Amino acid sequence: MVHVQLKFNGRCALGATLAVVLALSLVPAAGAGAYIYWWQRNMAPDQVGRDTLTPHNHSYNELYFGPNAGWLSQVWEVTPAGYRHFDKRCVGNCFNAHPRYFSTYSYCANRDGRVHFVYDCMDEW
Amino acid sequence: MKKTIFFTCVIASVAIGAAVLSQLGLGGGERTVIGNGSVSVLGRVARATDRLPPSVLSYPFAARNFASKDGAGARLLKTQDSLQLYAVPGKGGMLCLVEVDELAGTAGGACADRAVLRTGSIYMADRQEDGSRQVVGLVGDGHTFAEANGKRTRVENNAFVLPHVEGTGFTVGSPEATQTVDLGD
Repeated sequence: MVHVQLKFNGRCALGATLAVVLALSLVPAAGAGAYIYWWQRNMAPDQVGRDTLTPHNHSYNELYFGPNAGWLSQVWEVTPAGYRHFDKRCVGNCFNAHPRYFSTYSYCANRDGRVHFVYDCMDEW
Repeated sequence: MKKTIFFTCVIASVAIGAAVLSQLGLGGGERTVIGNGSVSVLGRVARATDRLPPSVLSYPFAARNFASKDGAGARLLKTQDSLQLYAVPGKGGMLCLVEVDELAGTAGGACADRAVLRTGSIYMADRQEDGSRQVVGLVGDGHTFAEANGKRTRVENNAFVLPHVEGTGFTVGSPEATQTVDLGD
């Protein structure tokens, strides 16, 4: 019978601990992502931009008119079951950051009464 | 005959000029103006509490909108329970309102041209579980109150919080004038 004896010295234990900590810290980031779902287009009044490809546990939603903002805007999220969350109306460029509570789709809209160019709407999860 | 042509040209020029100005949004005859868009709180001496949380500076919104990457020039406007409101100088002619609720783990921001402050407020309106909206706003000098649903709150440090706004709007004003702000449906 062959006996294998593992010997851990202090340096090895420290290295293993660091490796575990690093791996654990990378787990949430591995699933994270960001997506621009409305890209450089005119938005009519009340027109809605949607990120409905796949629901995610979102943490961020932003509408960016550009550097000359001054119009009404809105960002919000909706679960696949239809429940609305993190609904924010703003004057101008707008963002909403929040904990990852729900799996949702992201939405943005120009709530001004006129057509405006929107540089992009983006979300993160 | 020459006089008639001359006056016709003058009248036509005035009419075209007025039409162009109104299309550029410079008409504004029906909008009540309060102040000149200045925000005096931005001029007070900076304090340690004026620094924006690092999490806010890390959002894409900060890089796109704030005048400087570290949020220089920001001022803490108001603290109410766990909610904090900041004014942040923006790029170009913009000014930003940022809200941070560390207890809830939330943050939000709105950046708009400072001209908005002459006829209203740079605000954010968050829908709450009961269907009402919490409105936080930044107003220019001269504004003294904000009001919704018959409840009036004082403007302090150019900022206000209206906790339960129902309906489609609120008002901001001074002792002499009132402006209606539309929240939409």
